[in-house]
Amino acid sequence: MSATHDEGRIERFSARERTVHWLAALSFVYVAATGLSLWSHKLLWLATLFGGGEAIRWGHPWGGIVFATILGSLFFSWARQMRIDSDDRRWLRQSHRYALNDSTGLPESGRFNAGQKMLFWAQAVATVALFASGLVMWFPSTAPRGLTFAALLIHPLAAVVSIGGIIVHIYMAVAAIPGSLRAMTRGWVSTDWASSHHAKWYSKMSRP
Amino acid sequence: MTEIVAKLIDTTTCIGCKACEAACQQWNDQGTTYGTFDGTYQTMPEVRHDFWNLIKFEEIEHEDNTLDWIFSKYQCMHCIEPGCMDVCPVPGAIFRHDNGIVDFDHNLCIGCGYCIAGCPFDIPRLSPVTQKVYKCTLCSDRTSVGLEPACVKACPTSCLTFGTRDDLLQVAENRAEDLRGAGHDNAGVYNPLGVGGTNVLYVLKDADRPQSYGLPADPAVHWTVKLWKGPVKWLGNLVFFGGLLGVLLHYVRVGPLGEEHGGEA
Repeated sequence: MSATHDEGRIERFSARERTVHWLAALSFVYVAATGLSLWSHKLLWLATLFGGGEAIRWGHPWGGIVFATILGSLFFSWARQMRIDSDDRRWLRQSHRYALNDSTGLPESGRFNAGQKMLFWAQAVATVALFASGLVMWFPSTAPRGLTFAALLIHPLAAVVSIGGIIVHIYMAVAAIPGSLRAMTRGWVSTDWASSHHAKWYSKMSRP
Repeated sequence: MTEIVAKLIDTTTCIGCKACEAACQQWNDQGTTYGTFDGTYQTMPEVRHDFWNLIKFEEIEHEDNTLDWIFSKYQCMHCIEPGCMDVCPVPGAIFRHDNGIVDFDHNLCIGCGYCIAGCPFDIPRLSPVTQKVYKCTLCSDRTSVGLEPACVKACPTSCLTFGTRDDLLQVAENRAEDLRGAGHDNAGVYNPLGVGGTNVLYVLKDADRPQSYGLPADPAVHWTVKLWKGPVKWLGNLVFFGGLLGVLLHYVRVGPLGEEHGGEA
């Protein structure tokens, strides 16, 4: 499917973007679930779903490497498009209205709106923090003690940012913004959807 | 009710013979591949996953040109409030016996190493072979059948004693009193309250500076660990459960975007 207006459709995410996104999603589910299993005694049952405590102790760091690598690929393909401009800043100041489905007067969005951009940067920063602190926590006997203390504080804080952001992300994709999930599964949205949600992007794409 | 046990280490009568090290290795069936030689009598710089009982050799030069050569046995302190146990993510992997001994269940240990950071004495060590964490058990397999720990059994000067904690605290205080009477004004008992007290007690000639004995002056669970297991955890629970509740309420009260003009626009 090309970026044309076949039957009132327009390509939103390329096959490559969709593939990388869902690989990131899959590895995220693994690292988040195995990580949460160590968050509290009450969540240790989650580890059982992934082979038990010893298995997740081995697999969580490796899963983290996989996730960080995939997210890195997503980062470099989208970073330029995620720059926050003055329209985005105005959008963010009125984002409470967006949350109440009142888009009147909101600045038009490009390919990604300011909320998506915030999620992108939050995930990027959190993943760097998780990766760095996770590397330290991987080797509890050899890492310097001071570094370990810092890592044990940074890792859960970054995980809270990451998982908190994903809760909102999944909710919006699955329930709050009809049409957006299919953009990431099959790749296309309707031209109406494009013009109402991402008007600046749509007008750029529909230019001859 | 089972009585709380303890081990008393009287550093003033230790002769640094390392019989306790050898007995610990022998009873616990450890290898004898020794570590770094750093020009002192000390067997290795710190405890290891396969070496739980270490005599520290400290040379202290005083201002009047006198020298103290201190021998101080170092091992798990069996804290009343063990930091290792507080941070362990697996219920039961670290536990306290009824008699106060802090022990690891290696069938449950997953080797995350949180306990290493949780311990104010930097004692537990991860085995690169089994990927599980090990430390002194106060010979729980001996004491449970009425024997004294291997290190105590081997000690030739009775600087090590094993008994009930109440008795040994009294013995320790009496010994410190004697030492003060003999002119060692700073003699005292090391039973740090930052960890609720310990089941391993020391008599120190200079209790005002435990660092000279390789012991932390005021051990407590590190503030970052307390922050992690306290406020950070609550913040996370708030975000996780608040987030789930928030999106549910948003769906119920606000609903999907574009619904007002016929579903997906």
